[in-house]
Amino acid sequence: MAESNADSKELLQPSRQILTARQRAWRSFSSNRTAVVGLALIAVLVLIAIAAPLLSPHDPLAQSAVNRLETPSSDHWFGRDHYGRDIMSRVMYGARIALIVGIASVAFGGALGTIMGVVAGFKGGRTETVLMRVTDVLLAFPDLITGLLILAVLGAGMWKMIFAIGITIAPRFARIAYGATLSIKEMDYIQAARAVGVKDLRMLTFHVLPNMLGDIVVLGSLWMASAIRLEASLSFIGLGVSPPTATWGQMIRDGTHQLAVQPWFAFAPGIALLIAVFAFNLAGDGLRDAMDPRAQS
Amino acid sequence: MLKYSLRRILVSIPTLLAVFTIIFIVVRVAPGDPAYAALGDYASEDAVERLRERMGLDRPLYVQYFQFLFGLLQGDLGHSLITQQPISQQVAVVLPYTLQLTFAGIILGIILGVPLGVLTAVRRNTWFDYFGRVFSLTGLSFPIFFLAILMIYFFSVQLGMFPALGAAPFSEPISNLHHLVLPAISLGVIMFAYVTRMTRSAILNVLSDDYIRTARAKGLTERKVLYGHALRSALVPIVSLVGIFTISLLGGSVLVEEVFARPGLGRYMIGAMKQNDYTALQSIMVIYAIIIVIINLITDLVYGLVDPRIRYS
Amino acid sequence: MSTEKFNDLALSLSSRREFLKRAMVVGLAIPAGGALLAACETDDDDDDVAVEPDDDDDDEVDVDDTDDDVDDEEEPDDDDEMPEPDDDEVEDVEGVILQLGMNAADVGTLDPHFAATTNDRTVVDMVFNGLVRYKPGDSNEIEPDLAVEVPEPEENEDGHQVWRFEIRQGVMTHPHPDVDSYEITADDIIFSLEQSADPDRSAYAGELSGMTFERVDDYTVDVIVEQPISPALFLPKVADYAGGFVVPMQAVEAIGDDAFQTNPVGTGPFRFESYTPQDRVRLLAHEDYFRGEPELAGVDCRYVPDDSSRELALQTGELHVIGGTTDAIWVDRVDQLDDITVDVFGVGEVAFLTFNVEAEPFDDIRVRQAIAYAIDRDEHLALFGEPAAQNVYSLVPEPLLPGGLTEEEAREMDLTFDHDPDRARELLAEAGYEDGFELELVSSEMEAYLRNYESMQATLADIGIDLSLQVVDHSTMHEQIRQEVNPLVIYIAWRPNADVYLTRFAHSSTRVVIGDAPDTNFTRYTELDDLIEEARVEVDPDRQEEIWKEANAQLLEDMVIYPLHFLNQVYARRDNVDYGHELVSVMALYPQITENTTIS
Repeated sequence: MAESNADSKELLQPSRQILTARQRAWRSFSSNRTAVVGLALIAVLVLIAIAAPLLSPHDPLAQSAVNRLETPSSDHWFGRDHYGRDIMSRVMYGARIALIVGIASVAFGGALGTIMGVVAGFKGGRTETVLMRVTDVLLAFPDLITGLLILAVLGAGMWKMIFAIGITIAPRFARIAYGATLSIKEMDYIQAARAVGVKDLRMLTFHVLPNMLGDIVVLGSLWMASAIRLEASLSFIGLGVSPPTATWGQMIRDGTHQLAVQPWFAFAPGIALLIAVFAFNLAGDGLRDAMDPRAQS
Repeated sequence: MLKYSLRRILVSIPTLLAVFTIIFIVVRVAPGDPAYAALGDYASEDAVERLRERMGLDRPLYVQYFQFLFGLLQGDLGHSLITQQPISQQVAVVLPYTLQLTFAGIILGIILGVPLGVLTAVRRNTWFDYFGRVFSLTGLSFPIFFLAILMIYFFSVQLGMFPALGAAPFSEPISNLHHLVLPAISLGVIMFAYVTRMTRSAILNVLSDDYIRTARAKGLTERKVLYGHALRSALVPIVSLVGIFTISLLGGSVLVEEVFARPGLGRYMIGAMKQNDYTALQSIMVIYAIIIVIINLITDLVYGLVDPRIRYS
Repeated sequence: MSTEKFNDLALSLSSRREFLKRAMVVGLAIPAGGALLAACETDDDDDDVAVEPDDDDDDEVDVDDTDDDVDDEEEPDDDDEMPEPDDDEVEDVEGVILQLGMNAADVGTLDPHFAATTNDRTVVDMVFNGLVRYKPGDSNEIEPDLAVEVPEPEENEDGHQVWRFEIRQGVMTHPHPDVDSYEITADDIIFSLEQSADPDRSAYAGELSGMTFERVDDYTVDVIVEQPISPALFLPKVADYAGGFVVPMQAVEAIGDDAFQTNPVGTGPFRFESYTPQDRVRLLAHEDYFRGEPELAGVDCRYVPDDSSRELALQTGELHVIGGTTDAIWVDRVDQLDDITVDVFGVGEVAFLTFNVEAEPFDDIRVRQAIAYAIDRDEHLALFGEPAAQNVYSLVPEPLLPGGLTEEEAREMDLTFDHDPDRARELLAEAGYEDGFELELVSSEMEAYLRNYESMQATLADIGIDLSLQVVDHSTMHEQIRQEVNPLVIYIAWRPNADVYLTRFAHSSTRVVIGDAPDTNFTRYTELDDLIEEARVEVDPDRQEEIWKEANAQLLEDMVIYPLHFLNQVYARRDNVDYGHELVSVMALYPQITENTTIS
């Protein structure tokens, strides 16, 4: 399945002077205003997430049933939710889950996928067949559907969410890493090192992996955006983190029922989610432009 | 060519089989029991057991598995555990809506995305380019369900221009299209963003290629260069990526259907999931897998036509 | 959805210059081809949408002549399949098909002896009759249905109780392609009762245990009850609810048990016409209905699980009646809309807490009482708001059923457990939990459950109890709590009388996991059996009510079950809909559409 991706091994030519051109990359990155905006937005998000207890105007868990679904006021900028909780505070706390799930799932999925791809590419033979077949199966379905299925089995929860998103992301990394490994393998110095008798593991860690690190990081930054959105989508369907923890997707889900009464219940977390995904896409874009000499000219 | 297609189909059979097996296991490992879903709060242990028997859930797993596989071989998707209706009938009702929505999204994306991509590429680094890029990146970043909710709020709740509810039958084309507008836009925006970005970078890339330089050197007008050469070659990647996009949009359609309460494969899947309707769920996943295989096959073939290095041997 | 990947693929492709021409042709062909394919697809499937279990019902749309005209021969069912905003105009000639928007995704089963969910009961209620019935719109009164009158019990020589039913003559079943319309007789009644008593073919078999059914003549049936019971307990068993629905023998035999589930045949005011998955069940008027031909041409029971979609469709007139949201804010807002009225009516489903009295730390009564004091009943109520919800002070809901405690009665005995966090903390400390404890519970994702669990989560935090919730889908919750996953269960349910409430939730035989007939008793409590059984065989209604009250009080004294509130039924309708009866309380949990319902 997804054989159309078979050619993705050509997508990322390994090494391509990234290491040597690191300085130039940074210069062009910082000169790329959009990327700077993206990074700034991410910084703000991170700040809000970390300092949520200090910044949030109210306790995100304090209920007040008589005041539920209050519309925005000077005291509650985005109004209150269906339990009478302050929406602004909950949106701020929601940034925590979004960032934790985003970072952790990409780290997990990226690491897993890269290892799978590198091992498959390097070992060849049956290992290659099995690993890439697994990758094919996972790639067969859209990430949302794969995520849905995994969570349907595991049940809801933050760590399960991270696991599920990580698994859906991993094959994309595996593909890239696999392709990169195949071509690195053919390089003269690797062949030479092999001939000298350098051990496989050593070769992988010191020669193959560093070579593709740049590509993996770019891919990771772009997938951060997708991971955050995927988390929200799954929460929206109802498979998210357990209550009373605030998550954007869950808030949008609950707010949708109250659009006619209190539209900000859904709008506020929706806008926060949009900004977060946008920021990571922006930064990821800039990063790619900076690292990919072809995209410059 | 035909031989190649057949070979591709044969090659995908083991993968499909693996997919089917995984689906079967995953669906059954999931917690929950359809008998409880059917009986609701009246589920006494006795009633649950008898219903499980009626549903055939008391049979050993391997028996159920082979029933599932043999059924598939005969093109039989089985019966829903909950309603006892043939699943193929239910799929036949909902699938056209999903396909319609997905194709509408793709076409909308191409129609809007290609021109914007060309324009942003041609006017590179102008405010227009900048605006266009931010716009497409915003589209790319929009959580599809949030976009759908905004659509409903402004165009249905506030303005009352389009229905927020479900879909109309194909026998009523006007009403059907009227119902399609908001969902299709929600889905199309993502496609639009992809296509814009891709067209832009493809055109930029082509413009810097040697033969374009040659063309320019030959004295062709910029217009001719652009439409005669650059756009043509830029169309190639768009075409070959339609397959990948379609799969992506297939996932997005689940959310759109959920928000718009629109009949479709995605909503059927979520419903089956919530009711633990194993047989329906596994068959829906099979349908998805088959659709994806078909899309990939088409993509592969087109891709082969486009790329001279692939030979069908 | 890696954009980067796409872009790179794009780049690597476009850098190749050969074959561009050919590629371009193909490139243009694909979207076009796709569109074509889509067109074919949809065309094809349009024909396929005929999902009726019975393909050959062209000839029986005749009640609905206009529909026939539209459909003609070629696609008899086409028009039935999907939402049709113009239904009304099409059918105006013969009467209107009422569009009923239900809060459900799809049909479960229409076999009345299995139907349990509100939306299934809704359909079943219109299609079938019982021997007796709850008066439409008022479930406090029982009147004859298929029987000529409501019988008085007699005692036979063996000391058994005999209820003799005289069956109404001339009751015709719905016509069906597989079985012609025929007159119901004693044979059908006995067949139906026996099927309902057969645990293999009914979910309500337990209700009819200890009963035998005898045919006296064509129109007379004796129901013999081993252990005499009061009318208040007997009549519901043969009423138009659950196992009491009468299925016609010949129809069940001709159609078969499985097919019957989505193809029911009964004797009610509306007959089953068609079923479209995830969309609707269409019922049409039963011309020969014994109470007279219905005013409506039919009823479309539409599956619209999304709240806002239902509401919008009601506003546009696409739907005539919709299931609303059990929330006072919703009730007020929608009631103010033009041409729309919201009805709030009984019966109310009771929300209550039950403790597993053998599970730590709830094996200590002080912990249970602490929780009862910690919980703020009014706060829970405010989450739904009056009149959508009302407080209750015993498991059996007082204004709705005999046998429950009024607020005054409970207050007199000091059993209201009003919100008192200090008292709660004291009790916890006495029990040795001054620092509170951790608790993990499973909750349904269903709004009514989740609101109560989440509200409790916040109030318990006040007294140091750290409650973590795992939200699962509704059926999974039902499965898990029946395996005693939750030492404390919030349950929301309606049961037709005090005996069923007490038996199902507090009799030792119904305890989950360990009971003789496990049902929905999550308490492990064994002290109430005598009172329940005593009340069950008490034939004097006043005395019976007294025993039930005693049982309810005991549940509070031992703090086994803590009642919160009951949730009323909320339905909204277009102003031109007249149900044809007052709405006080309805067993079937929907406004009841009968032969007298009209749309002006």
